[in-house]
Amino acid sequence: MTAALTEKKPGLRDELISLLGTDQVMESALERHLYAKDSGVYTGNPTLVVMIHNAEEVAAVVKAARRHDVPVVARGAGTGLSAGAVPEVGGVVLVTTRMNSIEHIDAENRTAWVGPGVINLDLSNVTIPYGLHFAPDPSSQSACTVGGNIACNSGGPHCLSEGSTVNHVLALEVVTDEGAIVTVGGPAPDPIGLDLRGILVGSEGTLGIVTRALVKLTPNAPDVRTLAVAFPTIEDAAATVSGIIAAGLIPAALEMMDQLMMQVIENWLHAGLPIHAGALLLAEVTGVTEAVDAEAQIISRIAEEHNALSVQVAVSSEERAVLWKSRKSAFGAVAQAAPDYYLHDTVVPRTSLVEAMRQVYEIGKRYEITMMNVFHAGDGNLHPLMAFDASVPGELDKVKAAADELVQICVEQGGVLSGEHGIGIEKRHLMPLLFSDVDLDAQARVKEVFDAEGVFNPGKILPEGSRCFDFGRPVPEGVWV
Amino acid sequence: MGYQTPYAPTRTELSNCIQCGLCLPHCPTFRLTGKETDSPRGRLTAMSAVLDGIIEIDDTFEETLSFCLGCRACEPVCPSMVPYGRTLEGARAEIAAQRGGVARRFRAWITVSWLGSRAMMNSITFATALVQRCGLARVAPSRFRTGLGGLRRIRWKTPSLQGKRFEPEGAPVATVGFLVGCIMGPWFGEVHQASISLLVRAGYRVVVPPGQTCCGALAAHDGAADGASRMASHNVKAFGDVDYVVADAAGCSAHLKDYAHWVPPDEMGNWQVKDINELIAEAIEGGRLPRSTRRRGGAALQHPCHLRNAQRITDQPRVILEAAGYDPSDIDPMCCGAAGFYSILRPETSAHLGKNKVKEIRQTESTVVASANPGCEMQLRSHLGEGYQVLHPVELYAQALEEDSETTA
Repeated sequence: MTAALTEKKPGLRDELISLLGTDQVMESALERHLYAKDSGVYTGNPTLVVMIHNAEEVAAVVKAARRHDVPVVARGAGTGLSAGAVPEVGGVVLVTTRMNSIEHIDAENRTAWVGPGVINLDLSNVTIPYGLHFAPDPSSQSACTVGGNIACNSGGPHCLSEGSTVNHVLALEVVTDEGAIVTVGGPAPDPIGLDLRGILVGSEGTLGIVTRALVKLTPNAPDVRTLAVAFPTIEDAAATVSGIIAAGLIPAALEMMDQLMMQVIENWLHAGLPIHAGALLLAEVTGVTEAVDAEAQIISRIAEEHNALSVQVAVSSEERAVLWKSRKSAFGAVAQAAPDYYLHDTVVPRTSLVEAMRQVYEIGKRYEITMMNVFHAGDGNLHPLMAFDASVPGELDKVKAAADELVQICVEQGGVLSGEHGIGIEKRHLMPLLFSDVDLDAQARVKEVFDAEGVFNPGKILPEGSRCFDFGRPVPEGVWV
Repeated sequence: MGYQTPYAPTRTELSNCIQCGLCLPHCPTFRLTGKETDSPRGRLTAMSAVLDGIIEIDDTFEETLSFCLGCRACEPVCPSMVPYGRTLEGARAEIAAQRGGVARRFRAWITVSWLGSRAMMNSITFATALVQRCGLARVAPSRFRTGLGGLRRIRWKTPSLQGKRFEPEGAPVATVGFLVGCIMGPWFGEVHQASISLLVRAGYRVVVPPGQTCCGALAAHDGAADGASRMASHNVKAFGDVDYVVADAAGCSAHLKDYAHWVPPDEMGNWQVKDINELIAEAIEGGRLPRSTRRRGGAALQHPCHLRNAQRITDQPRVILEAAGYDPSDIDPMCCGAAGFYSILRPETSAHLGKNKVKEIRQTESTVVASANPGCEMQLRSHLGEGYQVLHPVELYAQALEEDSETTA
């Protein structure tokens, strides 16, 4: 791939139309505009957008795009936040939403073959009759696709106990840069040979395009208790989190939100959140009834030792549903505070939560940005949420600068760049904070093995110059690197 | 070009959308095609793009917005509370103003001049009754067949209720101004009868102000904004001084609740708008209307989009059905595909959604189906075929009370 694609590619367009049909190829200004971005703040410019239905079509599109020297960017529901599906340098946006079949649900072995376009929550709903669900549960799970979860190795509140997407994918059917359809991994939990499946999960569409996945399904817990604990301060809530883990418990989820966040959610949902408290901790324990009751008691005791103002234990599924809805709709509710938002994703060691949160608020204050917090406290995965108005000149730059500082303080605390959203465009310039030149070169070499010509999602994850012998990844003018 | 009319979506309305995408799975058209252009987020982004001068109002923009059913299923799930239905009406008004077209002008003539005129509605009713009796419905063009097939038996002429007044026994709880609407009177007269008799029995004084007209919902949904605005102003004047304005079609009550967008603030009445389900359920729960002691078996409860999504009314129809002695089971809230003119303009999509809905109703094994909106009722009856009774919840309740009183007598 060479220059950024500003010009149309009539040859490729005609070829794709003859392959897929007119209705599956979108090229108007409006259609291209709608596929220019995901849920985050970065914008690209697709050359063409195609709807695909099966692996054969993907392979044909990849071959055609490669012949015409045009990159391919896979996209699911477009709920990503790190610009992983943003066609930064143009190219064909390949939309997987119609590849949404769920096949071969194997209740005994607890697996299913699913298309990349299957909506995360649909999969869990379809498997209710078998008493199973798909464990990764990002907040966007009602809308995001399994393909996107695989690309970003998504987590969610319950990855504290269940692990992130990589722990729930057994095999992948993938279209390679040459347009071959191959399957990596298999029903066995530990594949023989190099674990290519492990490399592909989290590769953000830069190594190949997943067309089918064999996913693990997790048994629904026999019983569950969800505790909503109000604290006077974030520090008390964070100390409670450390206390719970130190007591030897591994709750299914440990989530925290601050006062400002509670207020905007409450305004929409009327869930009865303790909006006068400084922080809310949501703790969920799953297992047999006796165990969850005992664990709920231990958590309540630890919370009370750390100045808890109130402990509410949700027993009915309705009460529990309202609590989770408030947590999972948090970022959408931000629009009440300001027209734009930047939802960050960084990780610190759990023991550094208190100090990290102090610095997060300090950054918000210094940059004069409304900073709200709602995050996976149990695994130290912070989600500082900055509400701003992008139409005010300079606001977006200010927010991006604050975002960089947020990552910096987290890395200084011994944390990492991203918990679950991926690197995409958003954080690739920060990769050197965590990786040495040698590390980056090794990663770039992996990319080269899978995709020597850079047909798949060019420019994502790795900053320019990662490979000692850089293979000319195009970065258009004005792109923020 | 941007936007040119006062009805256009505003920056404040549009900037509420932060593109989180939580609306996508709830949108019937996105579920059908998987395309961003056919999703609420995509449509809002398109409206913003016109506002920002990034795109023109062209064929693609028009197609994107006219494919929308206007079911507003995106609204209750939107954490940013984007007023999607309002922006859709505004954008459609812009399309109509900027692009015109014979077909659209013809539709505006129907929604404003036909539906807004009693004389015209009487003629249409006579013609429809004729079509029904001659069996012409079977040979009508396919896009009209669903609508015609879903109609109740139409009377040649139904005397208008306008100008009538109904007094309760004892001092009235409050005064209700009753909207007779356009097709509800001549085609669904039984729903009006049930509504008024129940309101009176619940202690309301019911007045049917003369000079009222169609609420204007269909005109507003279709971009005939000037007409919709005139109809709204007209009704506001006609209703004058009542406590509540009540409609017994979900589409009408939803639109009446949006009148603040169509009428200047100084002209707005002091009344509150209620859907009939709200007042009747309230009266049942307050002990002003009885609960039937007879059990009547299951009833499939369909939630019309303009009741559930636009007004967030879901519990009240259930309360009414339970009081009528039924055991209601909820049908999945996805739009049934009737959506006003939609079944005529896009018969294939409409039929697809209608058939899905019917499948769910059949699974409940109830032959009684409750629907609080005339368009949905017609769609369901048409796709269900023989052997099903599709009625408004208040009709089922009124029938039950009548049966009970006959048994006692």
